[in-house]
Amino acid sequence: MSLLLRLLARYRRAVILTTALVLSFLLMTLQVRHESGVVTFTRQALLFVVSPFIKVTSATIRGVTGTWRDYVDLRALREENKRLQLETTTLKRRLEQLQDQALETQRLERLLAMRQASRAEFLTARVVGKDATNWFKTILLDRGSLEGIRRNQPVLAPDGLVGRVVEVTPSSARVQLLTDPVSAVGGLIQRTRVTGIVSGNLGAGARVRYLPLMADVAVGDEVLTSGMGGVFPKGILIGRITSVERKSGALFQEATLQSAVDLSRLEEVLILTHLDVREGFESGAGSQP
Amino acid sequence: MTWFLPGLLLCAMAQAVLLGPLSVWGIRPDLFLLLVFLVSQRVSPEAATGLGFLIGLCQDGLSGGPLGLHAFSDSLVGFLAARLSHHMYTDKPLALFWILLGGSAAAGGITLALLAFFLGPRLVLPALFRVIVPEALYTAAVGLLILCLPQIRAALTRPT
Repeated sequence: MSLLLRLLARYRRAVILTTALVLSFLLMTLQVRHESGVVTFTRQALLFVVSPFIKVTSATIRGVTGTWRDYVDLRALREENKRLQLETTTLKRRLEQLQDQALETQRLERLLAMRQASRAEFLTARVVGKDATNWFKTILLDRGSLEGIRRNQPVLAPDGLVGRVVEVTPSSARVQLLTDPVSAVGGLIQRTRVTGIVSGNLGAGARVRYLPLMADVAVGDEVLTSGMGGVFPKGILIGRITSVERKSGALFQEATLQSAVDLSRLEEVLILTHLDVREGFESGAGSQP
Repeated sequence: MTWFLPGLLLCAMAQAVLLGPLSVWGIRPDLFLLLVFLVSQRVSPEAATGLGFLIGLCQDGLSGGPLGLHAFSDSLVGFLAARLSHHMYTDKPLALFWILLGGSAAAGGITLALLAFFLGPRLVLPALFRVIVPEALYTAAVGLLILCLPQIRAALTRPT
């Protein structure tokens, strides 16, 4: 025993490094084949602890940005006549508020129109955080299982598909964007009804893979969800084809896709909470630009 | 090292919320890696390995990737940075920039290798030019700014 302890003490650097590396490797191995309870618990615990801070930080930043904008406005206008300055500042601030309100109302109206156009049930959530690495494309929402959010629920924006919920805590949820390198969504070219797989890419955008070689696919074609796979309802607009690649000798052709939703500027999203109703999207607001 | 936990929390907040508007072509600097560098200059290689593992685990928890991905690279980078801290000590900004760039690129390379091993072959060239190199450059630039802050402040307050 003492020999073992002496050996451990002598080679402690190598032992600690090896332990850390093996533990990391083991954690990753546990997640590759199936969901591990330990890993899920660790992830959820981490997210549970950090998400309140993220929410507070996000809210603070919104407040500080507003205050800073007001401050900058005031400084710029100080050089002008005081009476006019006061009047201008008030009007300008009011105008900004109204513009912000108008934009928000527009966004919310579109979300509402989408909710009403389809018979599915939605939940609105605010985006409060982004992925902590540059390798994956996920976002953090301010709602969780307490509001009825579950794993694999589709997430939408007025313009189309955003992604799916991959992780839920009582008060927050992580959404895997359709541009995430590990994301895969069944896609359907609206014009020709050809199916393929829309998967994320390292870098911006997404690709439509496994399109039959002889299939009619053209730039500008709209791609909708195919409904295959059981996660996403059929007919939600994913994006538009921007280029098509047909490599000689390849079994399939591939296309690059521009997402219908600007995923870098998401502020509010809709989560499809009721999965029994899975029809009417293709003719509804979800497929309209 | 009383600043470690507040620093880790600050990194998490900044990485998830604050750095969004500062992203260039969707790339943000890796503040967690900078924290690993900072920590490894002040502790033994054993502690740097453990703290690197903890920092990486926290980063993985706030990301959509598998848990352990950054824990692996950060513990390795932490160990190496602490082990080589005497050789890496420099007050020359350019040398510091190259060290940070190399460390960040190495961490990116390890991440790519692990992703390829666990999630199937990744496209090396797109990953290199769209993620690893821009992230390393951005991280090194931000790291240099943070590490040189005392020098910059001293230069600004020096009596003329």
